[in-house]
Parts: sequence; structure tokens; C-alpha cells
Amino acid sequence: MTTSNAVNVEGLEKNFGSTRALDGLNLTIETGTVAGFLGPNGSGKTTTIRILLGLLKADGGHATLLGGDPWKDAVELHRRIAYVAGDVTLWPSLTGGQAIDILGSLRGDLDRIRVEQFLQRFDLDPTKKARSYSKGNRQKVGLVAAFASRAELLILDEPTNGLDPLMEGVFTECVAEAKAEGRSVLLSSHVFAEVEKLCDTVTIIRDGRTVESGTLAELRHLQRSTITLTLDGDPSSLETVGGVHDFVADGGHATFTVDSAALPAVLAAIAPLKPRELVSTPPSLEELFLRHYGVHPVDGAGSEAPQAEAAQSEAAQR
Amino acid sequence: MTTSTAARTHSAPPAVSSNAFTNASTGFGIMVRFILRRNWLRMLIWLVVLAGMVVLVIDSQRELFPTQADRDAYALVANTPAIAALTGLPYAAGTLGGILNIKLWMTMAIALSFAVIFLVTRNGRAEEEAGRTELLRAGVLGNYAYSLANWTVFSAFAILVGLASAGAAISQELPVDGALTMGASFAATALVFLGVSAVAGQLTRTSGGANGLASTVLGISYLVRAVADVQGEGENASWLTWLSPIGWAQQSRSYADNNWWPLLLCVGAAVILLVVALALERGRDLGAGLIPERVGPRSASAALRTQTGLTIRLQRGSIIGWSVGIVVFAMFFGGVATAMADLLSGDSPIAQAFLGGSKNILDGLLGFFLMANALLVAAFVLQSADAIRAAESKGRTEMQWSSAISRIRWAAARMVVPAVWSLVLLAVSGAAIGATFGAAVGQPDQAWRFLGASVAYWPSALLVIGVVVLCAAVIPRAAAAVTWALYAVAVVLSMFGDLFGLPDWVINNTPFTAIPRLGMDFTVLPLVVVTALAVIAGGIGLWVLRNRDMTSA
Repeated sequence: MTTSNAVNVEGLEKNFGSTRALDGLNLTIETGTVAGFLGPNGSGKTTTIRILLGLLKADGGHATLLGGDPWKDAVELHRRIAYVAGDVTLWPSLTGGQAIDILGSLRGDLDRIRVEQFLQRFDLDPTKKARSYSKGNRQKVGLVAAFASRAELLILDEPTNGLDPLMEGVFTECVAEAKAEGRSVLLSSHVFAEVEKLCDTVTIIRDGRTVESGTLAELRHLQRSTITLTLDGDPSSLETVGGVHDFVADGGHATFTVDSAALPAVLAAIAPLKPRELVSTPPSLEELFLRHYGVHPVDGAGSEAPQAEAAQSEAAQR
Repeated sequence: MTTSTAARTHSAPPAVSSNAFTNASTGFGIMVRFILRRNWLRMLIWLVVLAGMVVLVIDSQRELFPTQADRDAYALVANTPAIAALTGLPYAAGTLGGILNIKLWMTMAIALSFAVIFLVTRNGRAEEEAGRTELLRAGVLGNYAYSLANWTVFSAFAILVGLASAGAAISQELPVDGALTMGASFAATALVFLGVSAVAGQLTRTSGGANGLASTVLGISYLVRAVADVQGEGENASWLTWLSPIGWAQQSRSYADNNWWPLLLCVGAAVILLVVALALERGRDLGAGLIPERVGPRSASAALRTQTGLTIRLQRGSIIGWSVGIVVFAMFFGGVATAMADLLSGDSPIAQAFLGGSKNILDGLLGFFLMANALLVAAFVLQSADAIRAAESKGRTEMQWSSAISRIRWAAARMVVPAVWSLVLLAVSGAAIGATFGAAVGQPDQAWRFLGASVAYWPSALLVIGVVVLCAAVIPRAAAAVTWALYAVAVVLSMFGDLFGLPDWVINNTPFTAIPRLGMDFTVLPLVVVTALAVIAGGIGLWVLRNRDMTSA
């Protein structure tokens, strides 16, 4: 356990009756970084977040939040964090502005000037009653309250749910600013582009267990890049080069994937063929993610677990 | 269930008729079945309880007044201002049917009306507010089909309860024509308030608002007829009774005149109200109310930023409503007692005979009023403290409990409000009963005696808070049903325990009857015991609340 980590979760377990929601989950967020938290619905993201918030009590494992125990030190820790739920529920008879003030006062750092700035950026009318807000506008109330705070750690659970693309852009800016201010962010999301753009590290979970974790570069390193090329001659000789997979050729066009380690050798083999065009694409986050939930889900989980642990320990050593 | 039915509406045959109304009511049958499926248990419980009460009361009254001589004696003293004001002018009080009407008619008519108001709102405005009506209306469903189905189902329910009540009375060998008139008068009253609820559901945007508006109309109808009955001469109410739908139904005078024509007024009013509701619905957008939504302040005041201030603000409407209602009823109780005091201190031989132990009977009656008043305050307390459970079940605790406030402090603010306000209400309403009573008998200082006797019920109110917190913590999902059921049991035992022939040790040891009544020797022990129970229940509740998982919305 290092004190430089905003969040340290090891082997977290949680049962709801006979359902095992979390089954040894690991999650680390270094202070000052933005951590992506990915997993399909029901994989345990919200449960993990609720344990970190002291709303649920873990059945096993360790969780440390800003150096404290999320269950025992809940009230003290909550002064230093801001949380936006995936479905922000407000008091129907109060206005959005009142709700933001109340949430800010509960934390004790209400700053009306900052609130006013974020209201303008998110284009939210604070004089409307919460019951007349759309889903997106309720999310904005939560986001304004969180970003306007001085919290050291922002915990955002699918926060852009219901926001239009314009507002997603504003959200991206706000997270980047929060990071620039030295704050840490836990961002649970289904929007890969958002996570790729914002997150320093990514944790992918499945069935309450961490299956991949590390920086995007590290995760990509473990995966193959896709290479597409166009040349005048016949590309079929490349198919037999070590490290080349999924080879498809169509006249002068060829597409294949390459293990990262074999990349220099493959490039050396391509050079004599004098390609006219070459595009190398690193695996997208979506591809990384879908690998774990794709065609062979059971195999995927089994074979990726050691990788995940390796990445985890690597992250902890830094 | 909603989605499966929505899916079924897609498979309904497309409307081929060009008739506008047929188009507008496409899917009516499916909606009727849908509403029945979601509400049959509720309706069945109401039906069994209401019809069962008819049987129970007839049975108990037959035991109480076994011979015709007993009933004739009762008839001579039945016509008191208290009876007139609370349950209507007695007539035919020498018959079992007439006695049934005195004891039960008003309770049945009001209870059934409330049932219909709540059911129509629950399936109408509340569904619209939750966005589920949108899902249905997007299917192949006529614009009016859902509302028409809603009103049809609960009109049928009201008529069925009327028939069941008549059947229950007939099974107890009451006259058939009287029983049928009585049943019809219950149904007719309920139909009017079904119409009121339908219109209210068009005017307001929220289900709470719709229930509040319709209940207010019911309350005014009750008070108008109360005034009419108190002003009445002999067995005949003043003309004011014709201003109240409840008055119309009363004028059917079952078991005496069996007039059916006043009930036609009720049915006519119901039809007009439903037509108005339909016209209003046609003229508005889905989800909107006709009373416009106002904008509010863009920031929270300093008071609102405290937990207690927030609690008071969220319950503001409810607190004002309950307070006004309780004080009005307290003055009403006091006023009734004044009229009774006149009767009892009069020279009439009946009054002298009725007096028996002189002042004790009067004190007993006033003590009963004070307890009834305390039970009303307890209902307010229950509703107020229930915010602890409601906030969690509606998902509002997620943001609050992840703020810098402990769950205990959070819950405490929601306990302090009902605790303090119940003390104020008990004091004010007790003093109001005493003052209105004292004014009549020329003893203005009576207010203090009544204030004291009323405040003695404060521990009972605290116990209600303790039990509500305990239930919210231990059984969050069932808490609302359990606490209201416990309250209903306490009301029945405290007020009607004698009626059901329960043993004295049960009747005298509810959290309300255990408190020394006005005129009884005051002992502090019951207050200490009830307070201790309140502290224990509340303490365990808070401890559990602190140490359990938050339940998901």
C-alpha cells in the first residue's frame, strides 16, 4: 500500500445473498491521475464504487481511499471526494440550483462563483424544479456540484449518461482541468472514446474480477497491432513471417495483425516489397475490451488473469 | 409487467374504424385487464375490510342493544350535536339499520372515497409522472383508452364495494331495500370523488398534488355537511347539506326513507366531472399539468443548507396541511363538547339520566377527544418520519450518504422535525380543545388543563418515531406497509377496542390508552415507559442504519 495512491483496492469481495457481486477485484488509482473503469452492466462497477463511498460494506479484501478506510472513516473522507451517480436522483420539489448548494454545503466547500461558472459551461438552468429536468439535466446537476467542489478525488459512475455530444465535450474538458489541478478521477464509463481520451490507466473488470489493468500503452503492448498495406507486387510472402496473424490479401492489398515483439522483423520483411501505403493501427480500447467479452468469454478470462495481475503489480511498483 | 403489456399492445389489431371515439379508445380492453392485474389485490383487501366492517358493527350493535326497548332508549339520546357533527344526523335510531348508519355510514363513505381517490391517482397521474404512460401511449393505444379504463375499473370497484356492503347487511338480516340503498349511497359518494380525483389528476403535475387536491375537496365536503347537520332541526339537516356530495348521499336515508333520487345527483356529478377530466386531458400535453410549474430560486438559502432546514422545506406542504387540519379538528372537537356540555347540564330528564356520574362522563368524552387528537398527531408524525425510508427507496440517499454527513446525523434531522413539531401540535391542539370548550362553560383557564393532558401524549408520538426508524433500518422495503399497519392496529385498539370486545389489558395498554386520560389520576410511570421504548426502538434503529448496506433504489 503506497500513500501516493488515491485508491487502493485489493481482492475486494462482496455478496448479495447468494449472488457474488465482487470476487477478488483489484483497482489502483495513483494520485493526480485519471483512471478508467470498464466492464459490462452487472460486472460490479457500481458495487465497487458504493463500497469506496462507504454505502456498502465489503465482505472481504482491502480498500483504501485517500489513505483511510472507506467504511469507518466515511464522513471524514467524504469531505475530500465528490461523487456523481450514473442516475442522479434529486429532490423533485427543489430547484437544481438548490440541490447543488445543498450538496456543496454537505461537503462544506460550497463556492458559488465556481458553481456559477460550471452552470454556464454546462448550460443548465438552475431555477427549474428537479422534477421537470430531463435525465441529461439531472446528470448536469450532479456534474456541476462535483466539478465546482474542491474535492481531491472525483468518483464518476457513468456520468455522461444522457448528455448530448456537445456536453460530453464540456465534460471531457472539465475532467482534463481537474487532472491539471492535481485531482484524481475514477471514471466508470461505457464510452470508449471518452476513456481513451481522458484516462491514464484503465481497469477492465468482468464478473466482479479485474481482468486487465494498466496504462493504455501497457495494455496495447500486450495486444497485436493491425497493419494494412498497398503495394505493386504480391504480398503473400508476408503470411509466413513469424508473428503475423489473420493474414488477408486481395491483389495488392493486405491486412494482418502483428505481435508487438515481432514488429521490427515484420517491418524488415515488408521493406523490400516497397509498399506504396502502410497504416499501422494500435488496438483500440474497444477491441481490448471486447476481447474479454467476445467469442470465447471463458477462455479469455482464464488466459488474461495472469496478465492482469502482472500489469497490476507493475502499476503498484511504480 | 409494464413492458410485457406494452409489447402486447403492439400486437393488438390496428384500428380500422374511422370513428374518432373508437380510435381514441383502441386498446381499452387490454388496459382494463392491465389495471386489474396491477390492482386486484389492493381492491380485494379494501372490499373485504369494508364489507367485513359492516358485519362486525351490526353484530356488535345487536349485542349492545339486544331488545327493541334498548334501541328505543338509545334513539331518545342519539341525537346529540357530537353525533350530528361527526357522523351525521341520526334518523330511525330505533332500528338496527339506523344504528348501523350512525356508527358506520360516514366511516364507510369516507374510507371508500379515499380508496377511490388514491387508486385513481396511483394508476393515473402517478403512472404519468413515472413516465410509464408514455411507454403505453407510444403503442397502439387510443388517446383516451388508458384514462377511460382507469376510471371504469375503479367505478366498478366502488359499485362492487357498495353491493358487497349491501350483501353483508342483508346477510345480517337487515331489510333488503334499506341495505341496497345504503350500499348504493356508499358507491355514489365514491363515484363523485372518483370524478374529483380524475379532474385533480389533470390539474396537477404530481401524484402528491392530485391526491392532496382531491382530499381537500373531500375534507371540505365533510365539513360543509357537518355544519349542515349541526344546524339541522330534529332529523333534518339545513339546506347547506345540498352543497356537499356527502350530504346528497346522506339524504338517501337508508333504512328510513330509502330515497334514491339524491343518489342520481351524485351519479350526475360524477359523469360531469369525468367529461370535464376527459376534455382537460384532450387539451394538454402528456406529462403536463394545467396548473403551471413555477421556477424557483437559483440557490439555496442558509436555512435550506442545514439538514433540519432541508427536512422542513421538503415537508413544508405536509406540515402546514396537517397543522391546519389538526387545529381545525381540535376546535371542532371543542365546539362539539361545548354543545354536549349544554345538553348535559340542561334540565331535561334524559340529560340527567345520561349524566349518571355527573362530570365524569363529560371528562371521559373530552379525554376521548384528546386521545383521538393525539392519534391524528401520530399520523402526521408517522408520515414525517417515514421520509427516512422514502429517501432511501427513491434513491436520494446515494448522493447524501456519500457526502460529509454521518447516517445517524442525517436520520436525526428527520427525527427531530416530527418530534418537535408533534410537541407543538399537541400543545396547540390540546389548548384549542380546552379553549373552545372552556369558552362555552365560562372557564377560560380550561385551556391549560387540556394542554397538559394533550402534551402527555408526546411520548406516544416519540414511540411512533422510534418504531418508524427501527422499521426503516431493519426492514427498509416493507417498512411503510408495516408501520402504517401498526398504526391502524393502534387506532382500532385505542378507539374501538371496546367495540370488538377485546380484553381490558389489551385495550388499556396501547401506546395511546396507556397514557393517563384527562380526568384520570395522573401517573408519570406510563409516560416514562413509553419514552423508554421510544428511545430503545430509535437507538436500535439508528445503530442498524449506521451498520448496514444501503439498499438499492
